[in-house]
Amino acid sequence: MTAKQPMVEERKKRDSSFSLFFQKNSIYKVIGLLVIFVFFLLPVLRLVFLSFVDDGSLTLHYYTEILREPATWKTVQNTLVIVAGSTILALALGVLFSWIVAYVQLSGKRAMQLFIFLPFIIPSYITTLAWTQFFSASGPVNAMLSWLPGSLEAPNLYSIGGIILLLGISHYPLVYLFTVNVFRKIPRELEEAAATSGLSKKRALWKVVLPLALPGIASGGLIAFLSNLDNFGIPAFLGTPANIRVLSTYIYEQVVGFGPSAFSRAAVLSVILGVIALVGTVFQWFLLRRSRVNETNRSDSTPRIHLSAGKQKLLEISLWTFLLVTSLMPLITMGALSLISAYGVPFNLENLSLRNYEYVFLTDSKPLSALSNSLQLAFFTMLVCLVLGTAMAYLRFKHPDWSTKAAELFMTVPFALPGTVFALCMIFMWLEPVPGWNPGIYGTVWILFIAYATRFLVLQVRGSYTAFLQIDPSMEEAARTSGAVGWVKWRRILLPLLFPGILSGALLVFLMALTELTVSSLLWSSGSETVGVVIFGYEQAGYSTYSTAFSTVLVLAILLGGGLFMLLGKLWDRKVLKTK
Amino acid sequence: MKKIFFGSASLCLAAFLAACGGDDIATETAPAENGEGVSGTLDFYTSQPDADAQALVDAFKEQNPEVDVSIFRSGTEEVVSKIQAENQGGNIQADVLLVADSVTFENFKAEELLLAYESPEAEAIDEAFVDPDGTYAGTKIMATGLIVNTNEVTDLPTSWSILTDEATSGQAVMPSPLYSGAAAYNLGVMTRQDGLGWEFYESLRGNDITITQGNGAVLESVATGEKNYGMIVDYLAARAKSDGSPVELVYPEEGVPVITEPVGIMANTENEEAAKAFVDFILSEEGQQLASDLGYTPIREGIEAPEGLKTLDEMTILDAEAVELLETRDEDKAEFGQIFGQ
Repeated sequence: MTAKQPMVEERKKRDSSFSLFFQKNSIYKVIGLLVIFVFFLLPVLRLVFLSFVDDGSLTLHYYTEILREPATWKTVQNTLVIVAGSTILALALGVLFSWIVAYVQLSGKRAMQLFIFLPFIIPSYITTLAWTQFFSASGPVNAMLSWLPGSLEAPNLYSIGGIILLLGISHYPLVYLFTVNVFRKIPRELEEAAATSGLSKKRALWKVVLPLALPGIASGGLIAFLSNLDNFGIPAFLGTPANIRVLSTYIYEQVVGFGPSAFSRAAVLSVILGVIALVGTVFQWFLLRRSRVNETNRSDSTPRIHLSAGKQKLLEISLWTFLLVTSLMPLITMGALSLISAYGVPFNLENLSLRNYEYVFLTDSKPLSALSNSLQLAFFTMLVCLVLGTAMAYLRFKHPDWSTKAAELFMTVPFALPGTVFALCMIFMWLEPVPGWNPGIYGTVWILFIAYATRFLVLQVRGSYTAFLQIDPSMEEAARTSGAVGWVKWRRILLPLLFPGILSGALLVFLMALTELTVSSLLWSSGSETVGVVIFGYEQAGYSTYSTAFSTVLVLAILLGGGLFMLLGKLWDRKVLKTK
Repeated sequence: MKKIFFGSASLCLAAFLAACGGDDIATETAPAENGEGVSGTLDFYTSQPDADAQALVDAFKEQNPEVDVSIFRSGTEEVVSKIQAENQGGNIQADVLLVADSVTFENFKAEELLLAYESPEAEAIDEAFVDPDGTYAGTKIMATGLIVNTNEVTDLPTSWSILTDEATSGQAVMPSPLYSGAAAYNLGVMTRQDGLGWEFYESLRGNDITITQGNGAVLESVATGEKNYGMIVDYLAARAKSDGSPVELVYPEEGVPVITEPVGIMANTENEEAAKAFVDFILSEEGQQLASDLGYTPIREGIEAPEGLKTLDEMTILDAEAVELLETRDEDKAEFGQIFGQ
């Protein structure tokens, strides 16, 4: 009895401290949510507010007006078809490639990974230009088709199908990035168990492998879905000649319209777009609801499927053909354009020169300072997102309650909006956060930093969250019971397991921030020009040859950086993971 | 505010030190005849190409070294929405605005965001291009003409009707008025002309013309031979030709719509004196010569246009009232959308 007494006491004490902790916790929750609300949702609400106001009085007439217009519904319908189609395409390509790279014995995987990334980092105006040339009347596809019997013609890219194709190809790397590590972590034993219990390989893939990969597929799919939804460049380039409107281009049309109703109408359409984005987010929650992880594995990059030599060659050839067409072709088109002196001159030695490069890197001083600005911005955005996003993902993983879910929704909104709209929201918010008080953020590089960090944070949250989802909760408990707490727990147990997933998110944030265009084109200021702003400026002035020269160097530099990064990753694998 | 204060304080200090350092420097930085020693900072929002805006500011600063001009450059549409957003946010940051067309300025004028200033330099400019209330004045002449691919077309057209000729069906391209303010201006002007009108646009549709996002895409399309004819702003075509692209610029005989890249001062500018000096400089002989050197047709009488472009009195101008164009802009765009099936 006497021995038990203190224990009961202690348990009581702990209970009370727990409840105290929970009380405190809910205060923290509210404060945390409030901060997130101010940074992520309030700027957008300032825009949404405009959709309810006309001449100083509250009204719903913008909603009734827009919802009654047939053009709105046609646009929504186009948007749904295009977003669904391109997201399915991105998912199919992304999952297929990540599964093959993770599972099948192939040579040259590292190079393959770099090429998979290319469509994502090449600016979309280059991708669309390259593809339209590729499929044009005098392009290689038609030349090949004319050799074949019958009167075949290359498909017309200026169509819904064309937009779906290019969006899908530009965004499948997102799905790939989120899923490849997930595939690598699926325990081999589970598949072996499936095989011994009589499941065929195909059934095992459906019943065991894909469900286990669901966290990655859902995250990658969500990010691809949002990217397809807010993309402006591709539907504007391909849709304008074909009279196809989607929400992002229609919103832009409203924004550039005149009169006091311009922003209000844009706000209403943004709300419609936001609703679609939220439905998508909730849908992937629903998918993830049933995903359970019951074993944790180290990332395992040794191939699991070995094909016969002939089959392996065949697979390699077909993969590389796809990558060469989708990745190298735009790069070569861009490189070729950057070497000629003017549009339309024949591509022969006489017309080739490095004049454009000379102008961009020696004569004009802006590109180099823009490069340095963008690198710094991207680096610091990545750092901040890395810390905050991973912390947020951890909370979301540990306490999946209303508050963390709401927080995640808030963070999704800035990424889901088209860049132009988001930039307008940033101006509303940060010019005078409190009416009459200008803290001097707007008009400096800080506004870009805040804009990038709030827009791209969700990428890191998803990347880190996907990584957490693959950790069996028992791992953390095991760590605790064996005495590893606090920083030690993180450093010795959690981080090594999480590292690849977290890194994917960080890489994504870095690349997005480095090449960002639409938000920057409204928010930059003297001295804070970014890479996107310089490219946009050249394009608008009709100097496409300069912008392609700059983009070519940028893409090559990213490829080089990617190569170095992979080498570092290899070193990390060897030093940190194996020596433990 | 603090920054501005320290900035001007350090400028004063620098000027003082320079004055002590050597007499010749001091006389060199003495104000020019009309500069009157303006100083401070100016926020200049513009849609001109970056290099051109920079050249303009550099030339201005040579005369007014104490003014610190920071440039925000983006597309006309982006600049306009930025200012509208700043207005919503409570405080317009721009001091001087220079964007594509007069209708945009009429819009700001209707919202009472512009300062009335009748620049003495504007007297040498045709009054058709200057707002009678002084809120804006044109700075150059940009005509929209025809661009033709010379590899594919040997007989140069002379009329807009080439675009509606059945023989050129599917071979022409034009920028979309829904995205580009300049193209919307052209739409408003051309649909108000006898002999063109909405019928012209209906025939364009009937002749299967391709709509692109902007003038740059028109140039690419015609220069590469994807299309043979296009509607384009003149200086792009002239510059591409001089760079060696197989294209020719044609001013159709019916006349051409022109945009004038007007300049105006925002009503709530914090540095009215410097803003006025800047506007004066842009309209002055020197500023206009600079525009010509950069490859644009100057708006001031008596200054030569650069090679490949016509001067103002060599072209027939299609015109319409800017105020009227502003009123019907939305309807015009909607009508265009109807014709082109959106």
